[in-house]
Amino acid sequence: MNSSISNDTSKNVKGSENEAIIKTHDLVKTYTKGKIETYALRGVSMEIPRGSFSCIIGPSGHGKSTLMHLIGGLDRASSGDVVIDGIKIADLNDNELSELRASKIGFVFQFFNLLQNLTAVENIETAMMFSKNAPGNSKEQRVKALELLRLVGLEDKAHAKPNELSGGQQQRVSIARSLANDPEILLMDEPTGNLDSKSEEEVLDQLLKIHATGKTVVIVTHNTEVSDRAEILYEVRDGKLNSVTKR
Amino acid sequence: MNTFKLVVRNITRRKGRFIFTLLGIAIGMAAFVALLALGGGMRAEIRNQAHAMGSNLIVTPTDWCTFDQISIFTGEPLPASLSISVLDEIRSIDGILAAPYLTQASAIDMTPVAVIGVEVGTMQEFSNWEMADGQYFSTDTDRSVVLGSDIADQFDLGVGQEVTIRGEGFPVIGVLEPVGNLDDLGVYLPIPVVQEAFEVDDNISYIGVQVENVEEIESYTAAILDRVNVAVSSDEQLLESVLAILGSVEVTLQAVAAISLIAASFGIINTMMTAIYERRREIGILRSIGSKRIDIFKIFMLESAIYGLLGGVLGSIIGALVSLFAAPTIMAGFDQIMKGASLEANIEPMTIVIAIGLSVAIAVVAGLYPAWKASNLTPVEAISYE
Repeated sequence: MNSSISNDTSKNVKGSENEAIIKTHDLVKTYTKGKIETYALRGVSMEIPRGSFSCIIGPSGHGKSTLMHLIGGLDRASSGDVVIDGIKIADLNDNELSELRASKIGFVFQFFNLLQNLTAVENIETAMMFSKNAPGNSKEQRVKALELLRLVGLEDKAHAKPNELSGGQQQRVSIARSLANDPEILLMDEPTGNLDSKSEEEVLDQLLKIHATGKTVVIVTHNTEVSDRAEILYEVRDGKLNSVTKR
Repeated sequence: MNTFKLVVRNITRRKGRFIFTLLGIAIGMAAFVALLALGGGMRAEIRNQAHAMGSNLIVTPTDWCTFDQISIFTGEPLPASLSISVLDEIRSIDGILAAPYLTQASAIDMTPVAVIGVEVGTMQEFSNWEMADGQYFSTDTDRSVVLGSDIADQFDLGVGQEVTIRGEGFPVIGVLEPVGNLDDLGVYLPIPVVQEAFEVDDNISYIGVQVENVEEIESYTAAILDRVNVAVSSDEQLLESVLAILGSVEVTLQAVAAISLIAASFGIINTMMTAIYERRREIGILRSIGSKRIDIFKIFMLESAIYGLLGGVLGSIIGALVSLFAAPTIMAGFDQIMKGASLEANIEPMTIVIAIGLSVAIAVVAGLYPAWKASNLTPVEAISYE
């Protein structure tokens, strides 16, 4: 099963630009508290093309983040399928799913989620600990991590701890970390939700640059500044896919 | 970046907690090391005392219990129920040197002391006594005392002064050179004088026997038992009896140490469980960037093991220091049990190795449950934790 998520397979699957890299089919997620069952997603089927810049929009509490967690393999669906680059997530065991997250998906969260006791460069290196794609020795890891910091314009902050960085800078480190293992997909949950307008602009610039390199970028957002740039808008409402707008 | 580096960063992040958790383990381990070292010290000292006594065999009445027998080592007063007539029978065996003892209790300045009746003619040769001051007894009827060196020092007594025993004043005629065992704490008089003062007829407490050929100690024992109705123990047997009692004391000490260790291990569990709740989000971050359950498990287990290793090393150092510095204080109490003994901590390298190994093992076991809990958090429940 591991081989199905290795680089070789992903290269085989790659090819047609218009092919969907992320597919969901009738995705349902329920949470049970005592005897009460709450539906977070009520059968979402969608396809996100390879190399696209997409946003998932919709009101708070209507299932956007849940959808992103399921697409990213951070949670398991109650029923339905998620297929990432030809790999059905439901068929993977925990180790295989972890390997998929490490190699194919980069996450960026609203609250940055950096490890507070590590420096910027070490946060990026930590992501390389768990992927077979990453350089094995620490010198190569350091070179690559510094390269990624340069990409987001923070090479001079390599040895700063998160609490020594502004919100925008932390989010840029978080973006650099998400690229540590050269994933094909970047999943972002409100990446600008906790930033001032100047930082928001900086982060958005980074995202567009990264998309320009061919990555598939999926952003959950309320922010119209972000969603206005999207090629495809998926609107989630009441746990269902309400509309898909292509531009 | 690697797991070890990540774990070291985690441990040292909260210095206060790190230090207190470490101290919890270290104090448990220190108690363990100190108690073992002191127990080992007592054991070594009892061996010294037994060998310094100078007897290969001890002849006692048949009705003595083990407690009476080991009281020979501890300088307590002993029953006077052995007739002195058995002495001649024992001396008729070739290759034997026998010395009778009559141990009774008196007090100097309200402090209990052992008054020991000795046979004037044989005692100097039997115990290799040298005089530090004054002179030894000249006859079995001398109504005077010779003091062990420690007794003379303790009560500031010297030749020409007087010791009162059972209401009668006895002049001090000599003080012995230090011998390094129980003999230093005796007040010595000729046996007939002690028998008269304590009204024990012709009886003595026990007879110490030195044999010419130690290899044949069993045939000497058989020869004695053949001639007279007594109990005969070798010094090794008596030593074993004392060590057996000490063994139970050691077990008690080790039980106390074990309780300290159990308390320390709950300290680790508590620290690690708290760490899981505090670092739930961090676990979520690690899971989201691709760490497997086993990676999280390893991180928490390694953290526990490092606590155990550092706690073991620090505890061994503290334990060794405590046992070295505490030995003289504890000695004050030990001295009451075993007169003339000098207690020194006996720290075996193996004790340190065992202590550190045990500390790591306990920490690893204590870390299992928290590590399992941490590794079983799903990425989304960990990452969503506020």
